[in-house]
Amino acid sequence: MLETLPVTERAAAAPRRRRLSRAAPVVVAILAALALWIAPLVLDTFAVNVLTRSMIYAVLAVTVDLLWGFAGILTFGQAAFFGVGAYATAMILTAYGATPLGIAAAVAAALVAPALLGLAVGWLSFYHRSTPLYASVISLVVPIVVVQLIYAGGEWTGSSSGLVGFDVLPFESEGYFRLAALFLIVVTLAAWILVRADAGRALVALRDNEARCAYLGLNPRRLQIRLTAALAAVAGIAGFLFANASGVVAPENAGFLFGTELVIWVALGGRGTLLGPVLGTIAIDYLAANLSGDLPFLWQLLLGTAFVAIIILLPGGLADLVGRLWRALPAGRREPAPPRLVARAADPDAAASATPILTVENLAKAYGALTVLEGIDLEIRAGELVSLVGPNGAGKTTLMRCLSDGTEPFTGAIAIGGTPITGLTPNRIVGLGVGRKFQVASVFESLSVADCLRLARASHDGLSPVGQAETLGLPQAALDVLRMTGLDRLLTRPTRLLSHGQKQALELAMVVALEPRLILLDEPTAGLTKAERTTIGTVLKALTAGGRIAAVLVEHDLDFVREISSRIVVLHQGRLVLDGTVEDVVGSELVRTIYSGGAHG
Amino acid sequence: MLLTLDILTTAAILFIVSIGLLAIFGVLKIINFAHGAWLTVGAYCAVVTAKLGLNPWLALPLAFAVGAALGGLAEHFIIRPLYRRPLDAILATWGLGIVVGQLITLAFGRDVQLTPNLLAGTVEILGVDYSAYRLVALGIALAIGTLFALTIERTRLGLSARAVIMNETLARSLGIDTGRVRLVVFMIGAGFAALAGVLLTPLTSVDPNMGVAWLIGAFMLVMVADASYLALAAACLVFGAAQVLISTFVSPILGSIAIAVLAALVLRISPKGFSRA
Amino acid sequence: MAEAAGEAAAEAVRRSEPADAALALEGVSSGYGAVSIVKGVSLSVAAGEIVALLGKNGMGKTTLLKTILGMVALRGGAITVGGQALAGLSPARLVALGVGYAPQEQPLFQDLSIRDNLRLAVPSDRMLPEALERLFGHFPFLKDRLAQRAGTLSGGEQKMLILGRALMLRPRLLLIDEISEGVQPSMVERLRGVLDAERAAGVSMLVVEQHVAFALALADRYAVLKLGEIVDSGPAGAPDAQARVIGHLAV
Repeated sequence: MLETLPVTERAAAAPRRRRLSRAAPVVVAILAALALWIAPLVLDTFAVNVLTRSMIYAVLAVTVDLLWGFAGILTFGQAAFFGVGAYATAMILTAYGATPLGIAAAVAAALVAPALLGLAVGWLSFYHRSTPLYASVISLVVPIVVVQLIYAGGEWTGSSSGLVGFDVLPFESEGYFRLAALFLIVVTLAAWILVRADAGRALVALRDNEARCAYLGLNPRRLQIRLTAALAAVAGIAGFLFANASGVVAPENAGFLFGTELVIWVALGGRGTLLGPVLGTIAIDYLAANLSGDLPFLWQLLLGTAFVAIIILLPGGLADLVGRLWRALPAGRREPAPPRLVARAADPDAAASATPILTVENLAKAYGALTVLEGIDLEIRAGELVSLVGPNGAGKTTLMRCLSDGTEPFTGAIAIGGTPITGLTPNRIVGLGVGRKFQVASVFESLSVADCLRLARASHDGLSPVGQAETLGLPQAALDVLRMTGLDRLLTRPTRLLSHGQKQALELAMVVALEPRLILLDEPTAGLTKAERTTIGTVLKALTAGGRIAAVLVEHDLDFVREISSRIVVLHQGRLVLDGTVEDVVGSELVRTIYSGGAHG
Repeated sequence: MLLTLDILTTAAILFIVSIGLLAIFGVLKIINFAHGAWLTVGAYCAVVTAKLGLNPWLALPLAFAVGAALGGLAEHFIIRPLYRRPLDAILATWGLGIVVGQLITLAFGRDVQLTPNLLAGTVEILGVDYSAYRLVALGIALAIGTLFALTIERTRLGLSARAVIMNETLARSLGIDTGRVRLVVFMIGAGFAALAGVLLTPLTSVDPNMGVAWLIGAFMLVMVADASYLALAAACLVFGAAQVLISTFVSPILGSIAIAVLAALVLRISPKGFSRA
Repeated sequence: MAEAAGEAAAEAVRRSEPADAALALEGVSSGYGAVSIVKGVSLSVAAGEIVALLGKNGMGKTTLLKTILGMVALRGGAITVGGQALAGLSPARLVALGVGYAPQEQPLFQDLSIRDNLRLAVPSDRMLPEALERLFGHFPFLKDRLAQRAGTLSGGEQKMLILGRALMLRPRLLLIDEISEGVQPSMVERLRGVLDAERAAGVSMLVVEQHVAFALALADRYAVLKLGEIVDSGPAGAPDAQARVIGHLAV
């Protein structure tokens, strides 16, 4: 009944277009490099000098955009890393001069010092259950601390007057212009390739739904820390270039005010578009240099007003306007080609074993004085499909939460395949073979169906940092879910455009794609049509029928429960009151009373 | 003894500067980065009062009124569209701060303004000569704290504000006009910030960017206090003491970042900060 | 009792103009985001009538109440209270129109005193003493406990506070969400006594319940909501009502 999914035909015509679209960033980059190489010949010295600075700032804008526009981390801290890189360069060049060794040491220091600081900042900012606001708070504190340390540095850092007069690279202003242009193009190209690649989707996934990332077995914290450190290093190199090009470094280069300016430029240009922030930064900084001499306050006033207006009315920035115009053209509406779906062989070492998949012993949980769960004992083996039923407030969802997040404060013991999970974060529990589907469909709203599924496979197959894979390998069961729900024909559709039922099915497919040993489903049929329910029921039965997987579902629809379960567990007021076969439970007087509202106290 | 007075008065000033931000964060869950601009607006109210030749203390009611009026406009046009985008609200209010700062610059120039002393001289207290104004500031902080506490605990507005903090959905279903509560609280918060700006004039120079220097400290204190004014008072005492002690015994530069760094660490360990105790 | 209720129900069916009804829903649809929860529900409650809305969890009962209150956006259909259309009215206006609400989820400010909880439900403090008198008339035990935190009341006492709060302002229409949930049988009887008395005084009610026996004993008519649609309705006193409803609810 469940046969292999036929290969999508339409994908066959795609490779040529795909190759073209993959080459596009490189072509644009080469053209931009040529133009910028020639530019110093036609621009006056003032423009060359200003634009050199603007392009270095644009590099910082790219890093802010990756962090904020893509990964959702609003940061004011890039200025600090930039300042550390610039000061490291200036201090080393002051001490050793622009000898080859001095330059090499300066580059190394401008790379390593910000990266280490970035690691520390990342470690401080991101932890299990940290909030985006907290990361922003830390990003405010870092530049303030760095600036004060510069003030405290005395001769080393030149204190409030900064450092000036150190040896620099032997370039004329044209040389710096070209160096800055090259650096900007390389960084932007790398960022562009990254965000178009599969790995770039992980950044957006983090922004959209960090919890879902963790429940796909990805480690959000590690990703965020690495991103922070890597982009700190990029900002540090920008600082190296800046120190050389300008020949002076000052505390305000590292300050929080500069950090906010970067955010303003990115916001005006258009967060999450890379080119928007690059062009926005260059345009604003260049205009500022030209206008602020004549109308210094008016210019700031206009910029501030524009910023407020853009944030409120056009959160996507100016690039969003351009993008809308582009999509209105026929060329802009082209749909990307969907990846080809292929079936993956099941994991061979996931063989059936004698150990129960899940054991729960004397589990209890309380919120303050309110006891939600008490004395729960449960053992679930491969091949079982266990329904967890009970009225509102019986503790069903709480139980599911305890099973999938070992950092929940509970007492008693829970083990997955014999491994105790107390203290383990959700992503590590996913690593033990647990997949959890939430009650409200938890997918990545900004990503396409295919991207969501690819992220679900990321913990097994990894993600390409440079390209988009042309195939999407999924376990047969996940393919079945897609085919039965028609999602296999909607692979390129953004998930925010899916119906409620389609989102639920997509999340189920994502969880199944994890190849879990234990699937936890919280009301998988809530709000679904009759046909959608039947589909989900069929999938679950087929999954567990193989005898290698167990499923636990919380469900209110008792007809549905009766149809699919191999066993039913009844919770009432935090206690396990009944555990038996469908017949046991259906015939039970106790269940009847509980459901007609009679059994209280 | 001097140290104790320094700690107490520093804490008092921090409290005065932060309370308006706390009110807004508590009820609206919005971090108002225009807070620094409201402080500046208040200080310039003192400048205007002086230019008009009025009693300098009259700047206090004037600043409160101006701050509240501007706050009302800001809530309506900037904050309201961004309730669902709290991080964007930080940015928009920061942008508003830039606009206000530049408007002040256009009107008054960017130079430091001189304001008359609200209270000059020193008094002898417990054997030391101490700035009379700082002592008065301590008294004012206690008065503001009491007034704030009474508003929150005793008035209907305070009760409605607490209801919105605890459970906005329920408050709305009971017929409370939560939009109005937010507007009024924002106006009061901005008014208190402007008031604080007047009270800062004897302690700091008045220029269009003076508020920014105080913003981060106030922001960190409010983060640690969550939405509780008692926790804010405790945080001001603890971090004010840390600032004074580090400045005195280690280095003034480290003292100036003591609040930001310590608050960040406290939040890392306990995300609810001081409000848990 | 059952006979009287049956007659009242029949009477309600005869009076078809919605303007006469205390509450009338015409093809009401609503939901959250992309999710449609209530799908074309038509229902009316006559003056002095109690209608019980039954159904399993997640079938849209609470959402329907919240739609009437304007807390969930109405996507289709019309709602009138005493003939006045409700679209776009704030909850504050509804209170003024005489609509009382006893919510189920997070119904009290647990950390506030009982008095403050009640103050928040009256438009001005001047109306409080009179409202409290009415409340004590129903639930005298609250009189000595006004200063106590609401969270320290037992589950059943909290339900009485929630119901009492909804009754304080002399509503003409009461919307009640699972008032019997988690309440001991003796207290359920007490709640029913209060509701019976209010009906006798002419108050109309839409009562969302899962406790079938309680709901049918209380109500004049019942309706069963399944996946956002009414799948069954009838007089609550009919001999087969209980069996039919449980057929929809239980395993």
